[in-house]
Amino acid sequence: MPISDGHKSGHAADAAFKGVSFFFAFAVMALLSAIIFVLIKESWLSIGKFGLGFLVSSTWDPVQGVFGALPAVWGTVVSSVIAIIIAVPISLGNAIFLTETAPKGIKGPIGAAIELLASIPSIIYGMWGLFVFAPFIAENVEPFMIERLGFIPLFRGAPLGVGMLPAGFILAIMIIPFISSVARDVFLMVPPILKESGYAVGATKWEVIWKVVIPFAKSGIMGAVILGLGRALGETMAVTFIIGNSQRISLELLNPGTSISAALANEFTEAVEDIYLSSLVELGLILFVITFVVLAAAKLMIARSSYRPYSGGAR
Amino acid sequence: MSEKIVIKNLSFFYGKKQALKNVVFAVKAKEITALIGPSGCGKTTFLRCLNRMHDLYPGNRYEGEILLDGKNILDKGLDLIGLRSKVGMVFQKPTPFPMTVFENIAFGLKLNGITNRGEMIGRVEKALKDSALWDETKDRLFEPALSLSGGQQQRLCIARAVAVEPEVILMDEPCSALDPVATAKIEDLMMELKKNYTVIIVTHNMQQAARVSGTAGFFMLGEVIEFDSTHKIFTAPANKLTEDYVTGRFG
Amino acid sequence: MSLHYARRRAVNSIALAASLLSACFGIFFLVWILKDVFRFGLPAMTVAFFTELPSPPGVEGGGLANAITGTVLITALATVIGVPAGILAGTYLSEYGRASRFASIVRFLCDILVSAPSIVVGVFVYALLVRPFGGFSAVAGAVALAIIMLPVVIRTAEEMLKLVPDSTREAALALGAPHWKVTVFVVYRGAMRGITTGVMLAVARVSGETAPLLFTSFNNAFWNFKPGEPTATLTVTIFNYAMGPYEDWHGKAWGAAFLITALVLIVTLTARFLTMRRVNGNE
Repeated sequence: MPISDGHKSGHAADAAFKGVSFFFAFAVMALLSAIIFVLIKESWLSIGKFGLGFLVSSTWDPVQGVFGALPAVWGTVVSSVIAIIIAVPISLGNAIFLTETAPKGIKGPIGAAIELLASIPSIIYGMWGLFVFAPFIAENVEPFMIERLGFIPLFRGAPLGVGMLPAGFILAIMIIPFISSVARDVFLMVPPILKESGYAVGATKWEVIWKVVIPFAKSGIMGAVILGLGRALGETMAVTFIIGNSQRISLELLNPGTSISAALANEFTEAVEDIYLSSLVELGLILFVITFVVLAAAKLMIARSSYRPYSGGAR
Repeated sequence: MSEKIVIKNLSFFYGKKQALKNVVFAVKAKEITALIGPSGCGKTTFLRCLNRMHDLYPGNRYEGEILLDGKNILDKGLDLIGLRSKVGMVFQKPTPFPMTVFENIAFGLKLNGITNRGEMIGRVEKALKDSALWDETKDRLFEPALSLSGGQQQRLCIARAVAVEPEVILMDEPCSALDPVATAKIEDLMMELKKNYTVIIVTHNMQQAARVSGTAGFFMLGEVIEFDSTHKIFTAPANKLTEDYVTGRFG
Repeated sequence: MSLHYARRRAVNSIALAASLLSACFGIFFLVWILKDVFRFGLPAMTVAFFTELPSPPGVEGGGLANAITGTVLITALATVIGVPAGILAGTYLSEYGRASRFASIVRFLCDILVSAPSIVVGVFVYALLVRPFGGFSAVAGAVALAIIMLPVVIRTAEEMLKLVPDSTREAALALGAPHWKVTVFVVYRGAMRGITTGVMLAVARVSGETAPLLFTSFNNAFWNFKPGEPTATLTVTIFNYAMGPYEDWHGKAWGAAFLITALVLIVTLTARFLTMRRVNGNE
């Protein structure tokens, strides 16, 4: 039990210290409630005016004062899904490399390099994406992609270098470190004896990974993936630079689009009319709710995977 | 009886630390050989040499020879996957894979290239029958293996090992996580297995060694102190250390 | 049979090679990005960059001295607000709350807040501190950064405090010290190094934040040391300059990017080095 009990001396000071520390722990809950409360209050005007139609309307017209969230929500979801599709296999590959394949000497440096990727600020990704990556793919990748893969509508659009697909790609690079590091931790929790059992039947390393390690770590991996999704959904600066900032919905992924966070970053300080500002805040509210739900799910999945008892009915 | 495995001057090192010193003996085919000795004496280390499990971790080194049917399995270029499908292993704790009962056994069969569904089902059934598990599991083949009891899980692991029809089965304290009833079942099973397989078992339980094995080896501090018929080891050991250990004076 | 076997081996080799390639993927982009940040950022590193104010739009020259001081000012302010609050909350979780329901909920919320979209925090602070008080300010920016920092500091502080064994606390208590003194003078001391490392990382991370500053501290073409006024920062300057039409601005933006990246990388590597040494020291 906490060793705080049963001390008579310095009672007042003890109570004060405990009280203060409790206050700040409580502040986290208060803060979260305040964020939700303030977002709802500030978007009340827009909620009242557009109602649920806000979620399904694709009109975003500051001049007429008519707003709908669909293009931004669409862009947020699509760019994040693209990011997940690219990032998940690579992150799992990283985790496999770091836990199973890599020779001891290079594990550390490679792990560190992947962590560094996470520490680069988002705005650097955005700027690099706009000045270096976008021109590069506009020149070397996109024309080729349209020519060869253009029969699939997803790979069509304007070869500008900025757009939904490039944004998803940059997002993928940004979330790889997060997914990799959670997946690595989950893999490390697989009991060695279980892997040995796989080898003992004559399985190759890959067969042990694919048939024993990954099934065992399944729920933790799902958690890692969803965590990455949560990260991608809320990412702002990199996306703002490279998504193209166009309030429209296109299935052709090379075309420019927008996302909730990009719309906020670009338009918030320009929004002078109350209804414009309120609609932007409502976008923020939608984003906050989506990421909250996604991150909570991720957290629960990761927690569940780490408490799962392994040895079943043994003993 | 013929000699299945011949160990010649085997030494083993975890990095710089020597764990086995000049082990020499021969294991007879289709018999149970028990390895006994105090904790940390090297018996498990020795067992894991026989399927080269130590190769999974860097820095481990073997010296000497282990001849399986006359062929040295410590050869550098040896195909470990082939070796391990000939030498099966059962671990201290039940280690069912996170899949169904059926898939657990089919796992090794698939690795061996068995794709015919009918043959697969036959082999799974045979392995479960051989492991005295069929009656208990025939109605729950497609339930997760982790839903079985501990003793059943361990028999499943034995079934998984025998399914690929190895020649040698290594058991590393297979009953240490089980209750006496489950232990008795496993011991009965071992007696069945020795009809077809060469079994080597590491155990802490002296009575178990006496009950099941035909030959026994006593390990201490990485060396084999005595290796002889189980009867002799337990009734008239040649070495004082062996006598002290089997009579429970230390350990 | 042997064909099957050869296929298994081939699949194994291909899969393991793919895992190597995927590790290279991240490193490839890390190197590519860092190379460009250095290549385009280094030429901007002039004396004027550090000492002069920005020149008017379209006019070459000038520097980002005000943005550099602004970033330092706002980050320092955020640290002053966020770090003590975070450490105290972490103390509650580790020393008092422990396995209680309340503590687990706070932990859970922290883990979610860590990854919550930072731009929403900007919107929140805008509604809370900018609009009611009549304008953008350094303080608003600092509060936004402090909110982002808070969950990271709380969790690190808790983790590090938990590493101090209970026997140490009991030994100190047995000498008759009151609990708060034990916490402050014994437990904090034991966890000092870990907490410092964690705080360094948190500070470095927020110093690179842009989104929460866009509509809190905003921007300023001039010097500002008043916490109540809009204040330029390196990151917001990067955003404005990179989106702007002038070559000179782009160069300045790369310069700012270089500074921020160098700072973050140095802090991250130092922190990693410190933790590594601690781990090795214990072995």
